[in-house]
Amino acid sequence: MRSELALAPSRAFRGLGSFLWTEILVQAHEWLAMGTSMVVQGVLLVFVWILDPSLLPVSFLGAILFSMFTMGQRVLNEAAYLRIDHKANDLYLASPMTPEGYFLGMAIGILVVYVGPVLVIGLLSIWVVPYTPAIVLLLFLLALAVWLFSASTGYIFSTFFRDNRAIWAYSSLFFNLFGVLFPVFYPLSLFPADLRSVALLLPPSAAAALLQSSIGATSLSEAQIALAAGGLAVEVTLILLGAILWARRTSREA
Amino acid sequence: MAIRNLSPLPETPPHGRALPAFAIIGWRWIGRNPAVAVAPILLPFIFLYFLSLISPPSLLPLEIAGAMLFTMQNIGSWVLGDSATWRIECSIQDLFVASPMGRFRYLFGIAFSNLIAMLPALAVLSGLLAWTQYSRGIPVPLSAWGIIVACLGVLWVLFSSIGIAISSRVTTQREIWPVGSLSFTLLGMLAPLYYPISYLPPVWQEMARFVPTTYAALLIQAALGITPASPVTMAGYAALLGLSACLGIGLALGLYRWRTG
Repeated sequence: MRSELALAPSRAFRGLGSFLWTEILVQAHEWLAMGTSMVVQGVLLVFVWILDPSLLPVSFLGAILFSMFTMGQRVLNEAAYLRIDHKANDLYLASPMTPEGYFLGMAIGILVVYVGPVLVIGLLSIWVVPYTPAIVLLLFLLALAVWLFSASTGYIFSTFFRDNRAIWAYSSLFFNLFGVLFPVFYPLSLFPADLRSVALLLPPSAAAALLQSSIGATSLSEAQIALAAGGLAVEVTLILLGAILWARRTSREA
Repeated sequence: MAIRNLSPLPETPPHGRALPAFAIIGWRWIGRNPAVAVAPILLPFIFLYFLSLISPPSLLPLEIAGAMLFTMQNIGSWVLGDSATWRIECSIQDLFVASPMGRFRYLFGIAFSNLIAMLPALAVLSGLLAWTQYSRGIPVPLSAWGIIVACLGVLWVLFSSIGIAISSRVTTQREIWPVGSLSFTLLGMLAPLYYPISYLPPVWQEMARFVPTTYAALLIQAALGITPASPVTMAGYAALLGLSACLGIGLALGLYRWRTG
């Protein structure tokens, strides 16, 4: 069955639609998890509001990107939960659904449900961010890129866990390290100058720097813009392809 | 089937060594999953770094003390997770209910095992606080350390009780993480852990006075000399901390379900 699918690219994503719908129905009941997915952003926005309100435009844009980034954490939790707790992973992969359909169905289903709270942040940000159509388009594209990167990373990571209790510690570290420590909620100019190129190579902070530049909160040279945009495009493409290949490989091992 | 005469079971000791056993559970947990010990150490630092960028440097000791309180408060979330997982996934609570060990020793054991896992983070934050204050020429006095330890102890008992009480109402594994994270982060944010209470809007200040962590924060800030307060005021903070903690523990025990089976 698998080899037949490999020879028929039109069937490579078979089952995506049905699993996407399943995931939407499952996730739509998770009101608490939806609220929790906004906790860190909410906390950091409160910190900024109390301690330095002038940074609110940057922090709101960072909160939107961080929300898209943490959807990868939801993919990680969901994929690990289905595999470890429910033992349902094998069942899905033994069905006519393809590994690609399983991974993307789950990731897009989570996106559809969890984009609601992100839109709320987006609406709130209108009060402080000087949006133009070009900035909105840029925000949309960058948020999409960050989501693709994090969902793919989350899915790959999920396959390494054998114990659900250990997931929280590792995933919290990963997502907070790249989403909070690096300049996503604050301007790139506050980050140590020697490490700025590292920040521009990491998808969340690269996307944040490009957005900060678009609203005039950070000044980027042409080389820095090329590094951030180029790095983001390459990393997203590679990790997405990697996740699809990894999904195929782990399904064979299952 | 022939009925054999079975020798009677040995008498079950009424007092076991529950605490050391739970201490080993806590140690094994971080021993097998180093990230579990590393995460609570690093996470406050990630937030401290962020805060240091957006706040005056003079607030750093206050923020470190706040991170210690926040870390201790997060034990509640861990206790909730353990207690719920053992009950729902491992179905092990029924075993304890049937054993001679009472609910208090079981609850205290879970709280103790999580304290073991959280101690490395608290030790690192204490070292950082001592170094920061020492480098500013105002070393932390012994009395302040006593107050810090006492406040952390009260919060440990209080938030462990709340965590366990909430855990007994959780019905599925999927609820554990969001319920724990939402409850304890919101409680932590309501209290002025990372900034003086005067920075908050007036309505928020009033709301914060209903949270025990607020009095722990005010007491420690006063003991460190960050927000000066008279001995009488500090005694008032201590009394309010004790009172609110007793109320919280009472509510938690009322909410808790031991025999769920």
